[in-house]
Amino acid sequence: MSPETDATLELDVRRLEPPEPLERILDTLADMPRDARLRVVHRREPFPLYDLLRRLGYQWHTEGADEYFEILIWS
Amino acid sequence: MLNTAGLSLDQAPPIRVPFSFFLAAPFFVFLAGALLLWQGESALLTRWSPSALALTHLIALGFLTQVMLGALFQMLPVLIGARVPGANWIAPLVQGCLILGTLALAVGLQWGGAVWLSLGGGALAIGLAAFMGAAGIALVHGRGALRTLQAMRLALFGLLMTLLLGVWLVAGLVGVPVDGLTAWVDLHLGWALLGWVGMLILGVGYQVVPMFHVTPAYPAWLARPAAWVILSGLLLATAATLMGWGGLAVWGFGSAVGVLAVFALVTLDRQRQRERPRIDVTLLYWWSAMLSALLAAVVWLSGGRAELVGVLVLIGVGLGLPSGMLFKIMPFLSWFHLQHRQVAARRFDVRLPHMQAFIPERWARVQFGLHLSALLALTLATTWPETVWLTPLGALMMMSAAALLSWLQLGCYRRHLQIGRRFLTSCAR
Repeated sequence: MSPETDATLELDVRRLEPPEPLERILDTLADMPRDARLRVVHRREPFPLYDLLRRLGYQWHTEGADEYFEILIWS
Repeated sequence: MLNTAGLSLDQAPPIRVPFSFFLAAPFFVFLAGALLLWQGESALLTRWSPSALALTHLIALGFLTQVMLGALFQMLPVLIGARVPGANWIAPLVQGCLILGTLALAVGLQWGGAVWLSLGGGALAIGLAAFMGAAGIALVHGRGALRTLQAMRLALFGLLMTLLLGVWLVAGLVGVPVDGLTAWVDLHLGWALLGWVGMLILGVGYQVVPMFHVTPAYPAWLARPAAWVILSGLLLATAATLMGWGGLAVWGFGSAVGVLAVFALVTLDRQRQRERPRIDVTLLYWWSAMLSALLAAVVWLSGGRAELVGVLVLIGVGLGLPSGMLFKIMPFLSWFHLQHRQVAARRFDVRLPHMQAFIPERWARVQFGLHLSALLALTLATTWPETVWLTPLGALMMMSAAALLSWLQLGCYRRHLQIGRRFLTSCAR
C-alpha cells in the first residue's frame, strides 16, 4: 500500500471528454512533488492510463464500480 | 476492489492494425455508389434485385463490419481491459478474407456464378471465424463495463448466426435444395441487422455516448434487459422459421426492433443532457443515425416498403454511425499512440497536437453534409421510384462522401506519421 503522507491532491475528471482526463492526470503528476499522492475521481476505469503510469515509475490502486472509480497514484 | 497490472501498448496491436481496416472501408462505399450509379433506379425497385443484394453486402460487410472489426481489435483493451490475442497476425488474415470475400460475394450476387458465391462465402467464413475466435477469447477474459461486455458477447453470437445463415443461403444459391428461401433470407437479415449490428451499437453506445459526449449513463431499466430481449426475439424468430410459422417470426423480430427503437430514443435523450453544448460531427452522425433507425422502425411496423427500411438502416445507420465514430476514434488512437511513444521515449520536447488537430472539423462537417444528402436523396428515391434522377444523385453524393472520408483519414494518418518521425529525429539528437 502507499506510504503514509499528508499531501494528497484531488483531481476530478468525470466531466471531461477523452483524451482530457489522461492529459490532466499526466500534467498533474508532472507538477506534483515526488512524495505526494494523487487521488483521481473518474467515471470509468482508465485502462490505457495504467501502462503509462508504470513506465513513468508510479504505482496505483483503483477502487470503484459502474460510474464511479477512485484511482490513488503515488511514486 | 480492483488492482490491475494494466495494459501494455507494446503488446497491443500497432496503430496500422485498426487503421488498415479504417482506410480500406470507404473504398467499398465508393464501389457501392458506383454500382448504384451504373444500375440506376432499378437497383432500389426491389430488395430482391441482384444490385440491391450486392449493394447491401458491399456496405454491410465492406464498410460497416470492416470498420467495426478494426475498432474492436484496438478498442476492446481500452473498453474492457482485455487484449485480442494474436491481433498482429490474425488481423491481416481477417482483413484479407473480409476484402476477398466481400468482393467475390458482391460479384456473385450481381452477376451470378457458383464459383464467385462459393469463394465469397468461404473466404468470409474463414475470416469471420478467425475474428470470432480471437475476439471471443478477449470477451471471455474482459471485465468491468458489464452491460457492454454482455452486449458485445451477444453481438458476436449474432455475427455467428448471420454467418451460418449466410453460408446456408449461398449453398441454396449454388444448387443445394433449400425450402422457403425467402424466410431464410429474412432470418439472415434479422440476425445481421438486429443481432450483429444492433447489439454492437448497444454495446459500443453504452460506452462511447457517455464517454465522448459526457452524458449521463444509460438507465439500468434499459441496459439490463435490452440485449437479452433482442436475443430472445431473434431466437423466437429462428424457431418460428424452422417450424414454418411466419406470423410468429414477425413478433420475434418486432420485439427486437422495439428495443432498438427505445435505445434510439434514450440515446437522443442522453445526448440532450450532455455537459457541453458543442455540436461536433460525431454527434450529428449519431442524431441522423438514431432518427433513421426510428423512422425505419416506424416504416417496418406500419408495413411500409422494405426498400425504404433498407436505405434508412443501411445508409442512415450502417454507413452513418461508423463514419461518425471514425471521426472520434482515428484522432483518439493517433493521439494516444503518440502519447504512449512520448512517455516510453521520455522525449517531452516534441509537442503533441490536440486530438482535434488530426482531422479538421470543418471538412468533417462537409463530409457529413455529403452523407446526409446521399441519405435524403436515396430515401426519396425509394419513396418515389418514378423520379429517376434521385438515385444517380444519391449515388454521386455517396461516392463524394466516401472520397472525402478517405482523404480526411489519410490526412490523419499522415499527421500521425509526421509526428512519429519527429520523435525519431528528437531521439537521434
